[in-house]
Amino acid sequence: MDTQFLVSLSIIIASFALYIGIAIYNKAKETSDFYVAGRGISPFSNGMAIAADWMSAASFIGMAGTIMLLGYDGLAYIMGWTGGYLLLTFLLAPQLRKYGRYTVPEFIGDRYESHTARMIAALCTIIISFVYSIGQLSGSGVVIGRLLEVDAKVGTMIGVVLIAFYAAFGGMKGITWTQVAQYIILIIAYLIPVVFMSLQLTGNPIPWLSYGKIVGQFQELDQQLGISQYTDPFLKGSKWQFLALMFTLMAGTAGLPHVIVRFYTVSTMKAARWSGAWALLFIGLLYLSAPAYAAFSRFILIKNVVGQKITELPAWTEKWINTGKLQIADANGDGILQWQEMVISNDIVVMATPEIANLGMFVIGLVAAGAMAAALSTAGGLMIAISSSFAHDIYYRILRPNASEQNRLLVARISIVAATVLAGLVALNPPGVITQIVAWAFAIAASTFFPALVLGVWWKRSNAAGAIAGMLVGLVVSLGYILAAKYGGFSVAGIVDTGAGIFGAIAAIAANVVVSLMTKEPSQSVQEEVYDLRYPEQMTYKDGQVWMR
Amino acid sequence: MKQIDKKVADAYFRERVRLIVIFFIIWFIVSFGVVMFAESFKNMTFNGFPFHYFMGAQGAVVTFIVLLFINAKVSDNIDKKYGISEEKNEQLSAGKALDH
Repeated sequence: MDTQFLVSLSIIIASFALYIGIAIYNKAKETSDFYVAGRGISPFSNGMAIAADWMSAASFIGMAGTIMLLGYDGLAYIMGWTGGYLLLTFLLAPQLRKYGRYTVPEFIGDRYESHTARMIAALCTIIISFVYSIGQLSGSGVVIGRLLEVDAKVGTMIGVVLIAFYAAFGGMKGITWTQVAQYIILIIAYLIPVVFMSLQLTGNPIPWLSYGKIVGQFQELDQQLGISQYTDPFLKGSKWQFLALMFTLMAGTAGLPHVIVRFYTVSTMKAARWSGAWALLFIGLLYLSAPAYAAFSRFILIKNVVGQKITELPAWTEKWINTGKLQIADANGDGILQWQEMVISNDIVVMATPEIANLGMFVIGLVAAGAMAAALSTAGGLMIAISSSFAHDIYYRILRPNASEQNRLLVARISIVAATVLAGLVALNPPGVITQIVAWAFAIAASTFFPALVLGVWWKRSNAAGAIAGMLVGLVVSLGYILAAKYGGFSVAGIVDTGAGIFGAIAAIAANVVVSLMTKEPSQSVQEEVYDLRYPEQMTYKDGQVWMR
Repeated sequence: MKQIDKKVADAYFRERVRLIVIFFIIWFIVSFGVVMFAESFKNMTFNGFPFHYFMGAQGAVVTFIVLLFINAKVSDNIDKKYGISEEKNEQLSAGKALDH
């Protein structure tokens, strides 16, 4: 057991103790607290909680690596995962807050007056959150695997136990404040290495201003190495794939149940708008830094690792080879490592960079703790979404309307544990890198909830039959496209599995509109409720007139 | 509860919608617009970056953040103009989700 292991482990344990301490302090007592934290959290804190919920293992661990390996094409993730907040904050969050329900399936069930729609929405929530959590567990596997120097699979299994215990333990109330703490830890952990690398490489501690110079130098370096240009657009995929992926991530953001549910914890529509703004500011801090992270790591790899004798590679390489995520092979037998001879998984770049740049044990440990915070906070939110869909929307609202609170809470906890274990089993052999798995979850959200929610809020003519048709068509098209593109080599205009959301969303909107128009319009009271969402709380729409309360 | 002129209520809604439409146009230009013409920005540089890269990595994100804050602020002003009080809103929405 080396010192690094002890340092990393103590930082992780200390941060966990903090989160669990907060969770115990706020231990959920009533169901209303368990789901939406009893309302009334300030937009600033809520923004941080949204940011922690949002920034998953994909953002923290996977994104910089994805950008490093894809170059310009990886920026679709940056714009997609931030631009979606405009759709969410302008089109949905305040209105959903005014409508006031516990969960997304509940909104859909009540707005469309249909148990079938509620059931389908609950199933979609479970599918989306489940796919998303596979990415999180696979991320925690990378972190734990590196920490213990074991295969990432063993790391994943340990992560499953941690997350199941953690999410079943507190409710959202615990989680809101825990997530504020997690945000603070993860953003510090993310920024410190970037700032240090920026200082080392450019002498300027502000990475956002300094890394342009590094990016500018790649042109020449890439030419020397004979590899494709870092900043040239559309080398790894078509332009349409870039646009489709960006759309998928944006629309998916606006349809992610565990993020939307966060907006139910604010007090008013106004607070929802401010929460969205704060959330994106906090998220933006990390997203603006990820491309800098990518540029610095790539620069150091080109300068210090590539061109070295294979027998004299730095010690960190061996530890990452042990996790199965880094492969080095001397293909041409010259004893020197070429760029092409190194296969580095997207998922290890952020974790390995502090070691590559020699930033010292404390920073390496801090990054591990930050990555765990990211994986854990998102997994926590996802598990709450799954359990509330199951325990609240399916079990309580449909199967057993007279179940006691205690009974529902028990069902919620059991479903958390079951979902985590199942997701963990899939994550043992992850079907893709983290960012890719997470992008599938977004494709499904963009194809099911995004159309149903936007039309539900903005078009009063949309009815139950339309919503059901839309969600089913969206689900089938997006899942079908992902599978056909991933395993069947199918593609339209070069759009691969991660861009599936564009087809799903268009098909779902078309199905919703066409079927709604072909069937009976929704009841008068529902149409009035939808009309009512145009105005702030103080104004209500009733009997064709607007009233001020 | 007093009735308000339908025209006033409609004007409120129109103002909000106009704002959102303007924001979405900017949103579309800085993200999708720049990507569509990425090749033509390749030789322009900004702070060391090729321009298309700068927009993807920083320009678009900063624009999004700024738009959200402008939206929050301007919407508050619109609310004020129409005499909406936030305290009243809070009072009205308290406990709303719990009463089903």
